[in-house]
Amino acid sequence: MPGEVSLSARNLAKRYGGVVALADASLEVSSGEVVALMGANGSGKSTLGKIITGAVVPDSGTLLLGGEEVRFSSPHAARKAGIAAVYQELSLIPDMTVAENIWLAHEPLSRGLVRRRERRERTARLLELFRGVVGPRLEPGALVSGLSPGERQIVEILKALSAGPRIMILDEATASLDGEQVARLFELVLGWKEEGMAVIFVSHRMEEIFRIADRAVVLRSGRTVGEARLESTTEEELISLMIEGGIAERHIEHPAGPPGEERPLLSAEELRAPGVHGVSLELARGEILGLGGLQGQGQPELLRALFGALPYSGRILLGGREARLSHPRQAMREGIAFVPGDRGREGLLQVRSILENLMLPSWRRYGRLLNVKRARRDAERIAGELGIVMGSLDDPVSTLSGGNAQKVVLGKWLLRGPQILLLDDPTKGVDVGAKGELYAMLGDLRKKGVSVLLYSSDDEELLGLCDRVLVMRDGRVRKELKSPELTRSALVSASVGSGGEG
Amino acid sequence: MRAAQALPPRGRLREVALRQSYAFALVLLLAAAAANYVLQPNFFNPAVLGGNLMTYLPLLLLAAGQTVVVIGGGIDLSLGAILSLSNVLIVSTLGESPDASRILLAVAAGLLGGVLAGAVNGACVAYLRFQPIVTTFATSFVFSGLALYVMPSPGGSVPQGLLSAYQSDPLGLPMVFWAAVLVLLLWGLLRSTRYGVYLYATGGDQLSAFVSGVPVSPVKLASYCIAGLMAALAGLAMTLSTSTGDPLIGEPLILSSIVAVVIGGTRLSGGQGGVFGTILGVIVLGLFQSIVSFMGVPSWWQTLINGLIVVVALAGPGLLGLLRGRRP
Repeated sequence: MPGEVSLSARNLAKRYGGVVALADASLEVSSGEVVALMGANGSGKSTLGKIITGAVVPDSGTLLLGGEEVRFSSPHAARKAGIAAVYQELSLIPDMTVAENIWLAHEPLSRGLVRRRERRERTARLLELFRGVVGPRLEPGALVSGLSPGERQIVEILKALSAGPRIMILDEATASLDGEQVARLFELVLGWKEEGMAVIFVSHRMEEIFRIADRAVVLRSGRTVGEARLESTTEEELISLMIEGGIAERHIEHPAGPPGEERPLLSAEELRAPGVHGVSLELARGEILGLGGLQGQGQPELLRALFGALPYSGRILLGGREARLSHPRQAMREGIAFVPGDRGREGLLQVRSILENLMLPSWRRYGRLLNVKRARRDAERIAGELGIVMGSLDDPVSTLSGGNAQKVVLGKWLLRGPQILLLDDPTKGVDVGAKGELYAMLGDLRKKGVSVLLYSSDDEELLGLCDRVLVMRDGRVRKELKSPELTRSALVSASVGSGGEG
Repeated sequence: MRAAQALPPRGRLREVALRQSYAFALVLLLAAAAANYVLQPNFFNPAVLGGNLMTYLPLLLLAAGQTVVVIGGGIDLSLGAILSLSNVLIVSTLGESPDASRILLAVAAGLLGGVLAGAVNGACVAYLRFQPIVTTFATSFVFSGLALYVMPSPGGSVPQGLLSAYQSDPLGLPMVFWAAVLVLLLWGLLRSTRYGVYLYATGGDQLSAFVSGVPVSPVKLASYCIAGLMAALAGLAMTLSTSTGDPLIGEPLILSSIVAVVIGGTRLSGGQGGVFGTILGVIVLGLFQSIVSFMGVPSWWQTLINGLIVVVALAGPGLLGLLRGRRP
């Protein structure tokens, strides 16, 4: 049914370097309609959303607004065309008030001056929409820095609404809202539909999608693979659309039987940290334990807490003995190594040499007056083992390719002979060849009895490497998957929250 | 439902109080004033006080400009050099016994020089994405060099009429008071424009501001231009207070301008603060100086204290974090 507005995205593609974020995505939405955009991790949902709102420029494909081709160079341009978005990563400025944030860049003016009173009143009217489901703290003059995540999310929604959009994109907008607030938001969305707004609802939560959306568009590996009206489909059908066919490839041969009979090498009990809300886990010697789930469910935070890089409460036991890890140095002493995901920022000193980077955590073992000759020999050995392709150990790390740089990060920890390896999405942005070598190395380490806790945003990797996978959602472990039931569909179902809660 | 919280008072005052802490400035102000009073009981005699504070008029204008840049997320170390540049531009354009149009031309030259210098800084920072500290440190030498080129050694003079106008007390209050009032009014006006909102947004979180549609680069450029203009006005005030041109006169003021901003509760990382606090900061510095000179302690004490204040202000957030047991 054609409405007053219609947006049509056709055959959009976007690649970042060698990584294809979006291959061939299409989406149509028109007035009075709520379309759910679905897909597993890395399926390209947020890239598609960002292209529509002008935050990302596509490599190819067309975007039609009311039948005419448009090209947005910035979010501002898209907003002028009537497209507003609520992102999960918020766009609020903490030191400004709610009113200032909501009306930023479209303040009510008279003769060049901002009409504060009007801005305040308009903000109060917008806040009325959420009356009864937010506390009194949320008022026009409140500073955003003093608000809870849920309240900030509401301010973000109102900010998008304040532009009077004809097309609204809600990207995981319910992530930090509580039940009442979600219910209120959905009432509002129904109202917007009546008024002729077109809504694109990006979410992983099946239950919400069935409550609010009319139609679902499913992306898989950057392609639109299916579409369904929600009154005539089921969760199972949607999930099967989200999942690749065939059997996942195993990267490592696992010997039969449980890996470790003895007591776990590492265990955590009711671990809490920012983003982690009570996680218990056990990691056996020589086990590769995966952390799965959608992105941003507390997995990196969990790894950081286990490395002593985030303050935590709860207990961490190493070989049955309680350990207090209040600093990475302590974790390192206990034989724990952490390979961070954002290697440019956290893992490497880009302008320093490969040698220095490899040796950084280990210098202590080379005497007060550093025995550089011995260090160089060890560095050469590890570089050889890892197959780091480089000119010389003295070249800066910035000369290496992504895969090789990641090997340096891994190598610098392996030099310390760790017992427990924490990996935070280690193959993100790494080419296929280097991935293979990394997998092989994890297999070797596993044989040597090193325990690995691996978070990956790539489900295939979890399926191909892990003995067990813990699926996380909202900072908790929701499901544990072991060999027979460790399948694509089980992983996706547990991630999006259908099926049994664990 | 959520627990009801005690609602704080509404409105502008509260907005200001939430954003900026004047507590530090006020405590220092009271302490310094009390010390001055003890040392020099006639200190609060309007004539003495006015004379004392008049010396701080150039700093007041300079620090107000610095505040604008700092709120926008930058810093300008070249404002002292810009002050000198405008000072020598004005004096050298005046020449001997100038007429009224010559005087106007001289002032215009000085102010234009300041704005252009600010624009150079702003363009480097906003469009070429240079680091503000390094950029403006480097350009401070460029502007100093230009000032030395215009007037290699101190000299020149200013007509007596201008000097006495500057020293006059309209309505019985010294010029520095009127300057402060004017600066505050202009600042209030700026705060009420869309530009004012943009400035805080840019300094608060550049990326968020950008995705919200704030023209971040022009906003930054303008903040440096405003600071350049204020430095040039400070140069004019300096010209009238010293009645000569001196190509190196502004340099020593740059640290003080940053100290005044810091004392006034403006955060050096941007997005928070205001000019009123800075004015309090300037007064505090003036009172300090008067204590130092009255007690006859060596003047490097003042420099030392100024430096310490900046260090503490920079370390402050980190120290607070440490005390709360958080790591960065």
